[in-house]
Amino acid sequence: MDKRVYVFGRDSVPQYLRLEAGEELMMTLVMLPGTDLRIPLEVDLVGPGASLDLAGVYLCPEAEHVDLRVLVRHTSAGCHSRQLFKGIVGGTADAAFDGLIYVARDAQQTQAYQENHTLLLSETARVESRPQLEIYADDVQCSHGATTGYLNPDELFYLRSRGIPEPEARRLQMIAFLAPVLNRLPEELIEEIHAGLS
Amino acid sequence: MNNDDVLLDVRGLCAGVEGKQILKGVDLQVRRGEVHAVMGPNGAGKSTLGSVLSGRPSFTVTGGSVTFDGRDLLAMSPEERSWAGLFMSFQYPVEIPGVSITNFMKAAVAARRKAQGLPELTPGEFLKLLKEKMGMLQMKGEFAKREVNVGFSGGEKKRNEIFQMAMLEPTLSILDETDSGLDVDALRIVAEGVNALRTPQTAAIVITHYQRLLDYIVPDVVHVLKDGRIVCTGGRELVDQIEREGYESIHG
Repeated sequence: MDKRVYVFGRDSVPQYLRLEAGEELMMTLVMLPGTDLRIPLEVDLVGPGASLDLAGVYLCPEAEHVDLRVLVRHTSAGCHSRQLFKGIVGGTADAAFDGLIYVARDAQQTQAYQENHTLLLSETARVESRPQLEIYADDVQCSHGATTGYLNPDELFYLRSRGIPEPEARRLQMIAFLAPVLNRLPEELIEEIHAGLS
Repeated sequence: MNNDDVLLDVRGLCAGVEGKQILKGVDLQVRRGEVHAVMGPNGAGKSTLGSVLSGRPSFTVTGGSVTFDGRDLLAMSPEERSWAGLFMSFQYPVEIPGVSITNFMKAAVAARRKAQGLPELTPGEFLKLLKEKMGMLQMKGEFAKREVNVGFSGGEKKRNEIFQMAMLEPTLSILDETDSGLDVDALRIVAEGVNALRTPQTAAIVITHYQRLLDYIVPDVVHVLKDGRIVCTGGRELVDQIEREGYESIHG
């Protein structure tokens, strides 16, 4: 399987990808703090058995503006796509996630999933999540889900009651929240992200 | 230090949640070396007492004082209370997906040692401590890798609480309804753990509705909490009276 990690601002990130029959791609996108981004990404699954495992993490703790627009288009039968985007938005930052899964009429036996979860750190942080499905085939499994929330106060108290200071406890909660995406990254990048959370 | 020293001194404690008064003047003195039981019917304020002592932010103290080891407990943050030697075993331990038991305890032990001015444990020393305490609670090695309380049975959660207590070696442990959700075997393991941690310098408060746990952790002093006040204080015989005649028989 082709595995790729892109860090915005450091790497040249493709805006369009095309997966042919049997091609498998695992791609992870990283949006580090302090970057304003407008990201369009389109992926076409055009041959049977093509598979996309796409994940992304957006970190906007201060005043960032991030606008993610992802289109995954299934035009061939029997393809799989899975998307997981997780982000932390604080300060006066705002993030938008616009995710469309398009399944053409001939793309039977498609499996396509999309999830977008955001943790808000302040009252002034904003997130807008617009997951969409556009399906023209009748034999498919597709789903999407989006959640937005704050750090769980019961978790925070539990950690603090064991002597973990509040800032460190918050950091642990954030690390835990991001773990499903961060687990896909190389060790140095994980450490860099952990160090930047506070 | 004198063993007769009062470790915890609660005087006239009034507290509530969301504007509702629950504790209406609790007095409680716990000395080093003692195990106290706080018993009472549902809604008496037992869990509120534990929450207030451990510093849960949603509870508001409206009167009274609490001195712990000579310090003003109510002025301290939850983490400062932990560093000072207070431990609360929760009735409903929280699940923390994504955080392993190992990382959780590493952070807790490191923070406490830092607060106490002790050097950090080496990874090897930490692992040795972890294994020793897991062995004491008869826990399997894979436990350390699991996410905190995620997918744990009721018994595993309570055992995990006592494991954390063993790791942190508190001076005062508050066990809030530790017996709920435990079968007899788990109850015995938990009680053995608590008993093994007893020293002449430490104390425990066992909060419970039933006498069951007190068959295994024998209290020196028994208090009955009713409608936000301790209405009766006695010895072990009070447990038997409650068992025979119910809480209705206990009056202030």
